[in-house]
Amino acid sequence: MKGTYLGEFQEIVLLTIIVLNENAYGVSIQDEIEERTKRSVSRGALHTALTRLEEKGFIQSEYGGATSERGGRRKRFYQVTSLGRVALNEAKSVRDELWNLIPQGQ
Amino acid sequence: MSFPNPPKFLTKILRSLCREPFYEELQGDLEERFYRDCKYNGPSKARRKYNLEIIKLLRPSVIKSPQNPLPMNQLGIFKNYFTVSLRNLKRQKLFSTINIIGLAISMAVGLITISFITEMENYDTFHEKANRIYRVTTTRTNHLDQSNEYASTSLLAGQRIADEYGGTEEVIQIYKGMWGDLERDQKVYRFSGHYVSSNYFNVFSFPLISGNPETVLTEPNSIVLTEKLALKIFQSVDVLGNTIKFKEGTYTITGILEGFPKNSHMRVDALASISTLKKDEEYSHNWEWATMWSSYVYLLLPEDGNPEMIKKHLTDISKQENEKASTFSMHLHLEPMTDVFPGDGKYNEIGPTMTRSYIQQIIILTLIVLFSACFNYANLSIARSLKRAKEIGIRKVIGARRGQVFNQFIIEAILVALFSLVIAVGLFMIIRPYFIDLTYSTRQTTTLELTPELVLYFIAFATIVGILAGLIPSSLMSGFKPITILKGMSIKGDRGISLRKVMVGVQFILSIGLATLVYLTEKQYRYALNYDLGFNTENILNVEVQGNDPEILKAAFSQVPEIISISQSAFIPSIGNTNSDHARLLDDADSFPTYTNYVDVNYLKNLDHEVIAGSNFTDGASSDQIIVNESFLRKFGIQSPDEAIGKRVRYYQNNRTVIGVVKDFNYGTIYNRIEPFAFQFNEDRFDNLNFKIQSKDMVSTLEKLDKIWSEIDPNHELEASFYNQQIQDYYQHLEAKTKMYGLLAFIAISISLLGMFGMVVYTTEVKMKELTIRKVLGAELVNLIVIISKNFSWLFLIATCIALPTSYYLYKNLTEGIVHQMEFNVFELILGALPIFIIGCVIVLSQTIKAARMNPAKTLRDE
Repeated sequence: MKGTYLGEFQEIVLLTIIVLNENAYGVSIQDEIEERTKRSVSRGALHTALTRLEEKGFIQSEYGGATSERGGRRKRFYQVTSLGRVALNEAKSVRDELWNLIPQGQ
Repeated sequence: MSFPNPPKFLTKILRSLCREPFYEELQGDLEERFYRDCKYNGPSKARRKYNLEIIKLLRPSVIKSPQNPLPMNQLGIFKNYFTVSLRNLKRQKLFSTINIIGLAISMAVGLITISFITEMENYDTFHEKANRIYRVTTTRTNHLDQSNEYASTSLLAGQRIADEYGGTEEVIQIYKGMWGDLERDQKVYRFSGHYVSSNYFNVFSFPLISGNPETVLTEPNSIVLTEKLALKIFQSVDVLGNTIKFKEGTYTITGILEGFPKNSHMRVDALASISTLKKDEEYSHNWEWATMWSSYVYLLLPEDGNPEMIKKHLTDISKQENEKASTFSMHLHLEPMTDVFPGDGKYNEIGPTMTRSYIQQIIILTLIVLFSACFNYANLSIARSLKRAKEIGIRKVIGARRGQVFNQFIIEAILVALFSLVIAVGLFMIIRPYFIDLTYSTRQTTTLELTPELVLYFIAFATIVGILAGLIPSSLMSGFKPITILKGMSIKGDRGISLRKVMVGVQFILSIGLATLVYLTEKQYRYALNYDLGFNTENILNVEVQGNDPEILKAAFSQVPEIISISQSAFIPSIGNTNSDHARLLDDADSFPTYTNYVDVNYLKNLDHEVIAGSNFTDGASSDQIIVNESFLRKFGIQSPDEAIGKRVRYYQNNRTVIGVVKDFNYGTIYNRIEPFAFQFNEDRFDNLNFKIQSKDMVSTLEKLDKIWSEIDPNHELEASFYNQQIQDYYQHLEAKTKMYGLLAFIAISISLLGMFGMVVYTTEVKMKELTIRKVLGAELVNLIVIISKNFSWLFLIATCIALPTSYYLYKNLTEGIVHQMEFNVFELILGALPIFIIGCVIVLSQTIKAARMNPAKTLRDE
């Protein structure tokens, strides 16, 4: 299962992209993660995660229109693919299962 | 609202390092955040954050990989380079020929050097314990206070190290004094051998065919022969137990050696046990401190041995032994065997040797020639780059990068170098025998055989030469801007021209410098040969007595009518041998070193020494008479020759009387000053006969002498040489230098003239139109010549000004040891440069005249 393994940070990035829905691009993802997890995320780290996710086929991307607020450069918008959702669900169910296996009274 | 711009520097770095598809997104994101940060946190913080982000971005997933990311059929493009190179070589036959021949000649020299160095470095590598073997060497200071380095040492040193000091695994003593005739069944065989310690084979890896290496040399009078010598004597190698005679001793053959490898610094025909000498009273002086001329000590250190400790022991021994000695002192040193060959030129080497300085000289001269050829290639390539410019432009427009164009031209250069290699190997075969014949030591030590290993080196060498030659033109040509080229503008970059001028200039300097050096060395050699020694050497034939009774020889040879007179002497002066002792006037305390020779009554007359006072020796004279030279008088403060007669002198452990004075003559060589000298009369010391010969047919005379000799001594060849030949042999090193410098200078000059020829052809080609228009407008041939030759003449002049003083200075440095220097004036130096200038002029003239003779219509029509 090496190819579809989902790291913790990658999982967060995937979820964030889903949460942001139509507006998931570099800066917004970075901001959202920083706000939710209260930890600082470098653009480089995010780039690596996004590249890996795209290689695995969990997300796809396309360029949006150019805007003046970023020196005329286009944004690149990300979307989670169905394969990405399956991977997320799988990760969640593994966790749920483990939560359920915790003995009562603890 | 206006914001400051994001920091430029790191943005640029990101731009250049970031992979193309990511840049827009990443930079955009960063810039967006930057503007936001500016708004909320201020520009300085924003800038800091921006920079930090970029640095964090520099990770493998973002940065371009160093390899060419373009998916390209590499094989195809290389094939294309290959084809284009070949086409270009074919199209410009003249330039290709010049390039290939120039490179081939210089590479042939390079090949010689490579195979020479490889062979030299390969010496003594076959010993399994090579890096643990050391040799004891000696610095000896004699009674004249002269110090010399010797490879030999006293056997006492070896004995004491073995007996009294620890730290060594084995100590080998070697005594060289075993040579002459081996006798078996009344037949004698010339050979040379060493007396060696019994543990010899524990240290040196010379394989035995038969015999036990542990014991073959243990018993006295044991001898181990090489296979070759055994076959010569017995026609068989199955000869263990046979006996053979050497001098008075009878030796038992205990082993057969496969033979000494060619790359061993010691090579003999036989080894005998040194215990043979130890039991013999007559040889006991061999273990005295003073005896060091023919004996050698080798040490094998243990794996964890400490050479420093051994050195300390050797210093101890020297100190203790020197206290007992009075007239000399010796200091022992330790030398790793890996440094023995090539060595640093010690005296008394155990076998033929090669000095490191000779190898270095060869390397330097080779580099000069090589650089000259590489410059040639670079020069012509740059000159012709105009013709290749379109190609470069098109390649770049189609998408070639600078690196690719660079590679193309490098590959082209390597290709030319490989072509040249083929010719160079042929030349290598031709030069090889001459190189080996150059000096005595190369004849003895060098074979320059081609081995598979060498072939690999050769190919690697050709590739390197190709890269070197192609470096400058490739980097220059790959830098052409496609737009400039394709617009049709000329790209005669100033950079290219001045670079070319420098290269041509350096070539000129090297050639002129070498030519001058050759001229000076040659002149010094001639001077040494014709130097007036102060006595006659013409038609004197020196014959070695070789242990026979000189009187019998003299009687036999005096029958020959062509021999006018015969004299006898101990040494042959003026060819490097000297013998000396301190002399002191009996009524004076001062003593001075005085050289000597033992001669008979005919000697002075036979060799035309001029007696200026007193008389010659007479028959039956007593051996305490001496005849001195003028320097002797000067040194001892004797006013006139007549006053010297009858003076009593303490010399060679005896009181002697001066009976005559001869005119000063040079018994030494051009390296020595004339010092005090005394002829002695001593009939027991005659090792040479000097024949004065007058013959119309030298060959038949010599045959006659040979016949007489073989009747008296059938066991030895007649060893006779003319005095002048012996002098010439002594100065052979000068001749070798002249030849070597001469050969290399010739090559370097040929190459640079080839290069100049190429440049002139090119210049006339480029300026053809200009020349023709000038001609049409009425210019004379002279004007045209001036235009073409102006640049070259300037270069030549500057080069001469640099080269002449440099080579003069170099020559002075190289010949510091020569006391009797020839005289020459500065204008003579220019003579060395003149031939090059003349040939250069001929080249310029011929090309210009060719251009001037062209029909103007022909060149101008196609406009």
